[in-house]
Formats: sequence, C-alpha cells, structure tokens
Amino acid sequence: MLDTHVHTCLSPCGELDMHPAALVEAGIEAGLDAVVVCDHNSAENVAAVERAGRAKGLAVIPGMEVTSEEEVHVVALLPDTEAALALQSRVQRALPGKNDPDAFGMQVIANEHAEVLGFDEHLLIGATTLGIDAVVDGIHAVGGLAVAAHVDREGFGIIGQLGMIPDDLALDALEVSTRTPMNVARSNYGAATLPLLCGSDAHQPDQVGRGVTFMLMEEPSLSEVRLALAGLGGRAVLGGGRPMEDLLLHILDIVRNAIEAGATAVEIELTEDPARDLLAICVRDNGRGMDEATVARVTDPFFTTRTTRRVGLGLPLLTAAARAAGGDVTVESIPGKGTRVTATFQHSHIDRAPVGDIETTLLVLVAGSPEVDILFRHVVGGRDYELSSRDLAAALEGAALASPQGLALLRAAIRQGEAELAHEPGSERR
Amino acid sequence: MTVAEATERIGGVIVAGAVDAVGREIRGGYASDLLSDVLGNCHEGDLWVTMQKHVNIVAVAQLRELAAIVLVGGRRPDAPTLARAEAEHLPVISTDLPTFDVAGILYSLGIRGRRSV
Repeated sequence: MLDTHVHTCLSPCGELDMHPAALVEAGIEAGLDAVVVCDHNSAENVAAVERAGRAKGLAVIPGMEVTSEEEVHVVALLPDTEAALALQSRVQRALPGKNDPDAFGMQVIANEHAEVLGFDEHLLIGATTLGIDAVVDGIHAVGGLAVAAHVDREGFGIIGQLGMIPDDLALDALEVSTRTPMNVARSNYGAATLPLLCGSDAHQPDQVGRGVTFMLMEEPSLSEVRLALAGLGGRAVLGGGRPMEDLLLHILDIVRNAIEAGATAVEIELTEDPARDLLAICVRDNGRGMDEATVARVTDPFFTTRTTRRVGLGLPLLTAAARAAGGDVTVESIPGKGTRVTATFQHSHIDRAPVGDIETTLLVLVAGSPEVDILFRHVVGGRDYELSSRDLAAALEGAALASPQGLALLRAAIRQGEAELAHEPGSERR
Repeated sequence: MTVAEATERIGGVIVAGAVDAVGREIRGGYASDLLSDVLGNCHEGDLWVTMQKHVNIVAVAQLRELAAIVLVGGRRPDAPTLARAEAEHLPVISTDLPTFDVAGILYSLGIRGRRSV
C-alpha cells in the first residue's frame, strides 16, 4: 500500500509540521508500505525523508511534482537521490522567479531531526518553461516514471489544462485525487489504458495515507513499481482508494483479523436495499472466534490482539462510520466456530461514507491472501451476483489466482456481475 | 470581421493557416487558458485568445469549430502545433499584447463573448 504523492514543508503550501521525520511517522501510522516524497519543483528534502524512512522502517521513493509550461502537474517517481537532484537541476534552470514567503509560504529545507537547514529561494509555486513533453522526457532521462497528477482536478490537472490527454505523451500512469472514488475514476479515465493511481497530495501529516494505491510487488521500490505499472513479472496495480473513507476498504482490516484468527474461508456480503433505505456490509469467517468479553472490546480503537500493521482503522472506524449514518455494527462470535461482523447504514443518509471500490477491495484481498477462500456476494434490491475465489482458481487450471491471469479473471467476473446488477433501477451508488 | 482583419487590429502575425484567415468570419470571442473550460464554454466561430501553445489547442479548436487561435504575450507555437494547425486549416495568430488588451481591442470593435444557454 503506497501513497504516491506526499509533500514536505519544502512545498510553499506544505505545513511546517510536515518535516521529514513527521512525514515518515505519519506514513507508518497510516499503515503504508511506502511513500513517494514529491515537492513542487524541488528535491531538497528527498534525502532527509529517505534517511528518516530508513531510521523508522518506511520505504521512501524519491520524487518531485514538476509543473510544466502548460501548468500541468506531473509527479516524477525517481530511482534515487542523485536522479532527484539531476531532475531538480534541470527543472530549476527552467523555473523563473524568486519565492516571496509572505505571499506563498516558506520553503523549508529540513533534516530528519526536524531542524531547519535553510530555504529554497526558487519560486517553487510557479511553472517551469518546460513543455509537458519536455517534462516527461526529462523524468525518463533520469530513469524515473512520469505520472499525471490529480487528473480529476480542473486546475493543474492534465485534462483541465490541456482538455484531453495527448495521445503521444509517454506517461506511465494517471493519478486521481482523494475526491474521486476509484470506480468513478475507472469509468472516467479508464479509456486512457494507463494504470490509475490514487495519491493523497498530503501537505500536512494527518493527510498522509488518505489516498493510497495497492500494488502487488515483491518489495516497495521504484523498480517494482515500474513492473507493476507495466503489468510485468507478476506485478500489478490492484487498485486504490481512501482508507479512511471508503467503507469497503475497512473490510481489508476485518479480513486480516479473521485470517490471524485462523480463518480459511471468509464470506463478504454487500447489500443495497433502496426500498428499505439500507446498506449493509457483512463479513463472516470460520476462524477461532472470540469470547463475549473480547467481542465487547473489539470496537475500542485502542484494543487489538495483533502486532502487524493495519489498513484503515478497521472495526472502530467502521463503527463510527455506521453510527454517523443511522446504522451500527454488530459483532457475533462463537469460540471455535467463527465471527460475523455486520455493519448497517441508512443508504440515503447525508453522512454515509462512500461504499468504495469493489474491484480494488476484492483484488487486494485475493492477491494478499490467496490461500483463503473468499466468497463475495453483492445484493441490490433483491438481485445479486456471487463470486468465489475457489471457483475462479479452479477455472484457471493451474495458474495462481494472484497472478496476472488470475487477477484479470477476477476483474472480468466483477465487471460482468456489476454490469448485470446495474440494469436494475435504484442500483446507483455514490 | 474576418480573422485577417482582426490580426491587423491587434498587431498580430499569422503564423499558421494564413490562406484560411483571409475569408473566415469571426462570430464571437473567448479567452481562457484552461482547455477543459474552452471545450465546455466556447462557441462555434469564436476567436479564442490564450497563452497555451501545446498542440492540444489545435484539437480543441477543431473540435469546437473555432475561427482561429490568438496566442498572447509574444508566444509562438512549437513545430508540432504549427504543423497540425496548417494541416487542419486553422489560423493561429501570435501577438505581443497580453490577453486583457487583445480582448479589449476586439470588444471595442464589436466582437462579443457569447453566454452558454
């Protein structure tokens, strides 16, 4: 799980609190495997974030958010600090003007100990005189990957600035911001055939990890990201979303709990019932189960029996989200038999969080836990479809479910199921 | 007013589509540098004033059947933009004036923006 777009206090709009060590701590807190540190048109803080990451155990991929002449923001994912500094030198030669800290904010160069080393004097908020092609070529020339940033934003997004994505531009991926759910992004930008990422564009610590991309990789590094974006070597981009908001992403944490409790089969049921104004998410497992005292404590955000890292806040956050939308969470468990978690929501409630992306959720579950049988059922107004990871695996005749063919089959099955459901009126989700 | 006449009034130079500019009538004007905004809000036959010079401006102008593009602040289009504009018979004008002045001059000559209904 990566956040591919995080700023530091070097960006004029970044908060002073966002010094390298704070960024890394926030990334670990959010359960990330890696962050891409990318300030506007500068790489002065990349080395400090890398050192802070090494000290705390978070992978840091160097980067930069370059502003083209057309005012399109392009995030560069770079192999190392040297490449970042080489790109910086090329970018800043083409970056006119000096910063006015009173007008645009301070551009603080800091070390990993939260000490201020100096200020970048360039007008980082400005645009370079490099056309978008030159920016992408410049990123590739230093061995990097070029991602069109927040394509869903009118200002500084490539579609807003240029009306459309130029056919011959050698982009490696498109990024959507946290304002667009991944299922919506897929229908809006999927035709471009470029991989879709979600990044937080965090400028302060509590925003780190608010937008994430899930990739199937051996380790969180640029060379692995390159393979994942190209869909090579068994690596893949699984999807993305907002772990703090998207309801379905909370399931990832609940299923991980189930697996840690020895579950070998998990059933997930998503029910949308417009007639009863109900949204329900039910997760049932055949794990060890819990006694009554433990069940009573599991919705407490400070309680866990686990030591591994988490995705989202799991049950406590799901409970808060359900109660905010006129629903609740119930946990039923029988020791030795298993556990059932049911979250209900008033479907039309103004405070109901978005459902999130079914495709991302299931791909991450299957790729992350191929040994567990996952049954997913989506019920909309009495009609439904069902997917079983065991049936899909059988249809693959030997190939692994967590392989490119397996994931493609799963994706196709979800799309077919969703398309069939979409014919029924009242199946709209937001 | 034709594109060629307007070019003269704003002290511009036709850098592409000179032949097509002579007889082409301007029906209205639009000024914006966000191409998505232009796609959404301009009208057929508009003269479009912008500082963007990426080749996509030609695609936008073709799609919305604009009369011509005026590049402000002395901007000259790159070779791909020029070649595409020539191929599409789209006049492109370069002027040293900024957007505000170009729009002001054209407005005083009776060219108007047209509101979307």
